Amino acid sequence: MVLLGKIALGLTGTMLAGIGAICSGGVIEVNVVERSPEVHHVYVLAPAMLVPIATHFIPRDKLGDASEQLKPYLPEIRAALGQLREEEDFVLVDVKEREQHVEVQKIGGSLVIDVHDPNETVHVETPIRAIASTIEQLADSHGETTQ
Amino acid sequence: MRKPIQVLGAVCLLFASASGMAVSAMAAPPPATERYLHVKVEDSKEGESVNVNLPLSIAEKILPTVNKGNLHNGTVNIGSADLNGIDVKGLLEAIRTAPDNEFVTVKQKDQDVRIAKSNGNIIVHVRSTEGEKQNVDITIPLKVVDALFSTAKDNELNIVAALHELSDAGDALLITVQDTTQHVRIWVDSRTTSE
Repeated sequence: MVLLGKIALGLTGTMLAGIGAICSGGVIEVNVVERSPEVHHVYVLAPAMLVPIATHFIPRDKLGDASEQLKPYLPEIRAALGQLREEEDFVLVDVKEREQHVEVQKIGGSLVIDVHDPNETVHVETPIRAIASTIEQLADSHGETTQ
Repeated sequence: MRKPIQVLGAVCLLFASASGMAVSAMAAPPPATERYLHVKVEDSKEGESVNVNLPLSIAEKILPTVNKGNLHNGTVNIGSADLNGIDVKGLLEAIRTAPDNEFVTVKQKDQDVRIAKSNGNIIVHVRSTEGEKQNVDITIPLKVVDALFSTAKDNELNIVAALHELSDAGDALLITVQDTTQHVRIWVDSRTTSE
């Protein structure tokens, strides 16, 4: 009984440590609520660390075009994301129309996009570190496809 | 005796996993005094507003990496033809050493233009009634203008140096454009929003 308890404790501890390690890169949160024509609710919460890893499994021939288009802007994107991470929280863009409100903010280590209109509400939160890693992965895939 | 050790082990593991998450949640310490370039466009007719708040440090970091068109390493090549042989640096030196004054006043039937120097700023006012009424007010610190023309070449504008100088300057309303329905404002301060 004591042995089983130890095993359970070990497994729980390992699991918690694993979750801690996976979540150390932050989480990506996507929340979409559609109100018209029908009500739909999509909510996704995924560890950001998995995104660059998942990029590895996308077929290289499918990524070729995207990475080629990305390549000319890489220095600017790297500079922007690097500096963005060091900034305090701020509202980058705020657009208000009669029935729509779009907001892009930097909160903590994440880039947060919120869209509100009468038909839907969208909330996307992505760690800047994950965006940077994914972009680097895409850029690397260009090198691999052209070799 | 074993039980407390097991509990202690479990607490340590919990703490390790929680601290991993906490480290990721903690942002890097903010820079000492970040300055923001704010652009606000309001359209009273359409009931729309657009606000952009750009940290000057981000602009300073990005611009040197852009090498497209006339923009290279944070400078813009304006071409010698656009200057029409004007010695801009000499002109700026003359303005800098001159006392506060109104240098240019143009009064036309439907447009007034005034260019002046006041408290270390170059000020431009345009009042136009041609077509729809429009007012333009520009206030640029002389130090920023100096930095803009600080490159060795006469036909280059040093945007990065100007931004750096702008971030060192105090809060300033740089540009306002007002017509019958739209209001545009560009200013610099240390607030993170346009409110």
